[in-house]
Amino acid sequence: MLLRLFLVFLKIGAFTIGGAYAMIPLIRKEVVQKHKWLSDEDFLDGLAAAQSCPGPIAINISIYTGYRIGKSRGLLVSVLGTLLPSLIVILFIAAFFDRFSGLEAVRRIFHALKPAVVALIAVPVIQMSQSGGISRYTFWLPLLALILIAWLSINPIYLILLTICGAVVYALIMQRGQKRGRS
Amino acid sequence: MILYLQMLFTFFKIGLFSFGGGYAILAMIQHEVVINRAWLSSAEFFDIVAISQMTPGPIAINAATFIGYHKAGLVGGVFCTLGVILPSLIVMTLITVSYLKLKDKPWFRAIFKYLRPLSIGLIASAGIMAGRDAIVDVFSVGVFVLAFVLSWRLKINPFYMLLGAGVIGYFFG
Repeated sequence: MLLRLFLVFLKIGAFTIGGAYAMIPLIRKEVVQKHKWLSDEDFLDGLAAAQSCPGPIAINISIYTGYRIGKSRGLLVSVLGTLLPSLIVILFIAAFFDRFSGLEAVRRIFHALKPAVVALIAVPVIQMSQSGGISRYTFWLPLLALILIAWLSINPIYLILLTICGAVVYALIMQRGQKRGRS
Repeated sequence: MILYLQMLFTFFKIGLFSFGGGYAILAMIQHEVVINRAWLSSAEFFDIVAISQMTPGPIAINAATFIGYHKAGLVGGVFCTLGVILPSLIVMTLITVSYLKLKDKPWFRAIFKYLRPLSIGLIASAGIMAGRDAIVDVFSVGVFVLAFVLSWRLKINPFYMLLGAGVIGYFFG
């Protein structure tokens, strides 16, 4: 069972290109539909948690699925399965890249790859804004963050800590207000 | 050894403070590795981002491994990768064990209600900073517009999109 879990995540890690959003449908297919290790509801709960947690979403969902299926040993094999193909392929490419990066042809290729990468970063910004990430009450937050980070070079870590503290304090004040309103 | 520990710590910080997956992590890497530590030039960073998109596996893992190897060889690659997944291993494991209890707490929900829009701003800023570096002439404007329309409207897989861009670059770049 642990071996099968490892192989499933190894396969997903090796054959999905383009990050977590390419991996999620495959993980769901393998884990929920094919092997029936988790119910669809359990998987979607895990996915919500994986997206809210810090770190790579694909790793987070591997941790969740692995742990639910085989506790800490399941967690270990599923994370390893997701990581290994990345590690091997990247180390191989990185070892040769320095030798090729000076070539004229490679420079020309990257001349076109770079603006394409900018487009790849821009598209999820629009998609995330549309899929409920931004509401009437929160639209100022990404705008402010954008100005502070891109033009004033403020470290995003401070903004994140400030947002977490602000949200917790706000929620607790609202909660107390509601309790007082009721009593 | 000090460099390895710096890498572990830097990527731990990156993993811990990036909410919203790959692109948020790339934005954090840009801030910590390119701006704060100056381990990479901006141009090198975007080469690595392009490669990370075109190789299998999570983008953040690919970028971390590549940067580590580029800066300090095999051990560097392993340390950066470990650093970026350690926060996940800690936080996600805790949440997996207690998510069902936490998810109805108002303060817990409030955190993500505001962190998500913040992440959008963070990713947008990575796009702006990348754009300053990458969109410099008529050719790159054309590629950007084409790539943007293809991946936004036609939802073309990033791998094929970048493959196409690479071919265009080889012949016309």
